[in-house]
Amino acid sequence: MNNSVQQPNVALKSIVKRYGDVEVVRGIDLEIADKEFVVLVGPSGCGKSTTLRMIAGLEEISDGELYIEDRKVNLVAPKDRDVAMVFQNYALYPHLNVAGNIAFGLNIRKVPKDEINRLVTEVAEILGLTPYLERRPADLSGGQRQRVAMGRAIVRHPKVFLFDEPLSNLDAKLRTQMRAEIKRLHKRLGVTSVYVTHDQVEAMTLADRIVVMADGRIEQVGTPMELFNNPVNTFVASFMGSPPMNQLDAVVESNAEGSFAMFGGQKIALPELEELQGADGRKVVVGVRPEHVFIEPTEDSSPIKVELDLIETLGSEALLHTHVGDTPFVVKAETHGDIDHLSSIDTIYIPTRRVKVFDGETQMAYGFVKAEG
Amino acid sequence: MADIGNVGSPTENTMPNVQVSGKPTFSERMQLLMYRVRQDWQIYVLLAPAIIWFLIFLYKPMYGLQIAFKDYSVFLGITGSDWVGLEHFQTLFGSDQFLRAVRNTIQISAWSLLFGFPAPIILALMFNEILKETFKKTAQTIVYLPHFISSVIIAGIIITAFSPSAGVVNTFLSWIGIDPVYFLTKPEWFRPIFIGTGIWQEAGFQSIVFLASIAGVNPSLYESAVVDGASRWQMMWKITLPSILPTIIIMLIIRIGNIMEVSFEMIILLYQPATYETADVVNTFIYRQGIQGGQYDLAAAAGLFNAVVAFTLVMTANTISKRFSRTSLW
Amino acid sequence: MSKMNMNLYSRGDKTFVMVNMVLIGLFTIAALYPFIYVAALSFSSGFAATAGTVVLTPVDATIAAYERVLTAPEFWHSYMNTMFYTIAGTLMSLLIVIPGAYALSRPQLVGRRFWNLMVAFTMWFHAGMIPFWLNMRDLGLLDSYFGIIIGFAVNAFNIILLRNFFESIPSSFAEAARMDGANEFQILWKVFVPLSKPAIATITLFCIVARWNGFFWAMILLTDDSKIPLQVYLRHTIAELSDDEEFAATLLSAAYSVETVTAAIIVCSIIPVLLVYPWVQKYFNKGILLGGVKE
Repeated sequence: MNNSVQQPNVALKSIVKRYGDVEVVRGIDLEIADKEFVVLVGPSGCGKSTTLRMIAGLEEISDGELYIEDRKVNLVAPKDRDVAMVFQNYALYPHLNVAGNIAFGLNIRKVPKDEINRLVTEVAEILGLTPYLERRPADLSGGQRQRVAMGRAIVRHPKVFLFDEPLSNLDAKLRTQMRAEIKRLHKRLGVTSVYVTHDQVEAMTLADRIVVMADGRIEQVGTPMELFNNPVNTFVASFMGSPPMNQLDAVVESNAEGSFAMFGGQKIALPELEELQGADGRKVVVGVRPEHVFIEPTEDSSPIKVELDLIETLGSEALLHTHVGDTPFVVKAETHGDIDHLSSIDTIYIPTRRVKVFDGETQMAYGFVKAEG
Repeated sequence: MADIGNVGSPTENTMPNVQVSGKPTFSERMQLLMYRVRQDWQIYVLLAPAIIWFLIFLYKPMYGLQIAFKDYSVFLGITGSDWVGLEHFQTLFGSDQFLRAVRNTIQISAWSLLFGFPAPIILALMFNEILKETFKKTAQTIVYLPHFISSVIIAGIIITAFSPSAGVVNTFLSWIGIDPVYFLTKPEWFRPIFIGTGIWQEAGFQSIVFLASIAGVNPSLYESAVVDGASRWQMMWKITLPSILPTIIIMLIIRIGNIMEVSFEMIILLYQPATYETADVVNTFIYRQGIQGGQYDLAAAAGLFNAVVAFTLVMTANTISKRFSRTSLW
Repeated sequence: MSKMNMNLYSRGDKTFVMVNMVLIGLFTIAALYPFIYVAALSFSSGFAATAGTVVLTPVDATIAAYERVLTAPEFWHSYMNTMFYTIAGTLMSLLIVIPGAYALSRPQLVGRRFWNLMVAFTMWFHAGMIPFWLNMRDLGLLDSYFGIIIGFAVNAFNIILLRNFFESIPSSFAEAARMDGANEFQILWKVFVPLSKPAIATITLFCIVARWNGFFWAMILLTDDSKIPLQVYLRHTIAELSDDEEFAATLLSAAYSVETVTAAIIVCSIIPVLLVYPWVQKYFNKGILLGGVKE
């Protein structure tokens, strides 16, 4: 992400959105590099859609500055920002056929007829819509409609694509398929994209960089793996990853061997972290990803007694739903084609180097290394 | 997320180092205003004709209502005429004719409500029980039709059908040995004829609202009732009617709110001096005094009285409706 | 519920269904009968009509009444006037109502609540007949074609009905068009109007029916007989025929009478309504609900 500092294609500087006295976006700073695919993700009401709509020009910016290709666009009309948007409900015009829908913006801009035909044909080919150009949206499948919506955005060759939860109206299987298609399309066209979703799986699979938002603010920005391995706080930790990171409330206790997290008469060895020095008696949250837990003893791991509630079989893997005291704890284990050996589990092993520690008060990660960019 | 110093060439911006937070400056506000005007001016162009129309044709007459308190003279105009306070209202409330018109308005409305209101509900319930789709569609098409016929034609039909010598009604009566009646000159017959005509003309059309409401009833209610062995009659009483009760109540409130609005166009076409006693309503009184008699100020006063009462009724009805169903009428 | 198999019904239910059908049938006949009666009357001889022998079918069938009606130039003149008022008036209504309703539906309209209230208020309070009439007079719109067309072009109900429909269109349609470079005129014309065909058809039909049937204000505002619409001509003719006893007496011996001529005029003025009625019916179910109770 080094190039992002040198050549940001879209830059948000302290962007704020207010409705009356209510701030829904509270100061967003973000640079998006040329050709980058950035996903804004967060729970509903976190301000991600509003942020996207401010980039689009559909919402006025209450405060801060927005740049697209070095031009301040706060007061530039949506049509002059050279951005295109794919809407959640596609907003396809039912009275126009596929070709008419794709060409709508070109017609409005009075592009010559020959040019329109050329562009529409080209886009239809890219999206595999050529056989359907004469059809009305009502006669298309969900996936095809989705493609038309993208075609309408692509055809104008904008500098930036904006996606507002474009896959949320599709069923699970189609969603996976279209996700891959969007990714491929981005590879092929190389246009800067900003994508809003509440689905962290979509975010993980699509993004070059993910922006996790909550309550009108950015929680963390980073590559999918950075967010997965190195969440800045418990919110990001629980939001990214499926199933989410297990979190246990505990108290720090140190001795000659190192620091431990104590809870319900059990203890987990903690990695060496600056913040844990002299932290005896401090409340912390211990985070462990389900896929990092072992069901057999390994080196440098803490055994924890758990009670098994049920097993969800996924095929090659299974989810063990257990609890420690009152806290639920999920473990992802390999099945090796059989779950019998899992049904009697009462102890799990937590490798020390995989343990994340968060402050019990601020919920911020200990030993957090800020990623570059 | 460090500072991005090299973004945005300062020459392009009027304010290179804008203070990001804090109150917007005057010039920022002006820029925003200009932006909004550039974006949205067309909306106001689209809105203008309608608003201008409302101002000229509906709000300007409200200004003209002041003649209700003036001795209106055509030569002095609305503004120039002299104020007379409540003189016209005193005249009105001392006038038997006006008081009779108020009484007739309320009575005709009340009778229409009593007979006319249940009719479309019953019709809708009955339509709902018809199983043959073609029969239902045909019958509906026919009973909706009178709604689309002008009052002049309806009145023409009534006058012809009820005429003493040639009318078919008197023909029927003669079959059972009753002497011809000149219905339209008999005060006691005016209201039954007027209200009956209203039902004939509107009951079918008004049933649409209730039919739509019936269509919204959850079908599983009927299915479980059938399983429980309910008859169709029981289902009508125990499921359909309670389900559409909210619609019934809202429509009833609307009707009560409109009690001053008797369809006077029809009355003008049907009444004659012989039946004024039971037929003359406030609006026909206004028409005769004002348009025909030229007493604009007095007639305007009667109109104002009517409008204020109607307004109060509608507002009350809406308040009740809001409380009743959390549904506002508009 | 109507899809259920009749064989599954108990005897009581079958009786209930049959009785209901008979009652609906009777009501339908009652709704239809006056039209049949008038039609029969219009084709009957004047003598038969006056004697009150016409009940269901024409007696001494003749088209004399129609000859009398259709040869009167005033009839055709008023017919053309009604055509003109209906077409021009409806166009004028749409020209004001569609843009107005669109503007009132737009979230970015400043003072949107105020403008909407201003429109809606006229549904609850109106100045009444006399101030309206004086206003028309002051505007110089008495006895004027234009007065009839513009004076009744708009009503709050139609605007609100259409505004509600526009508001139900997801905002992304307008937004997508805006991002594609469409201005507000284009959004209205190229997106909202095509998307709102049922609602626009509904108010168009409301306008047509109101214009075709409009009578009271045409009677009051138009004094020149060459400008009156069909409904006013019809009213004049009926009043003339029945009031003028001398004239009525001269008719007695003729092949037509007051009643048959009246009936013939009625038939002639209903026919256009019957012709458009099937199209009207397709839409008004929707329409009346669109504008009905709003949550």
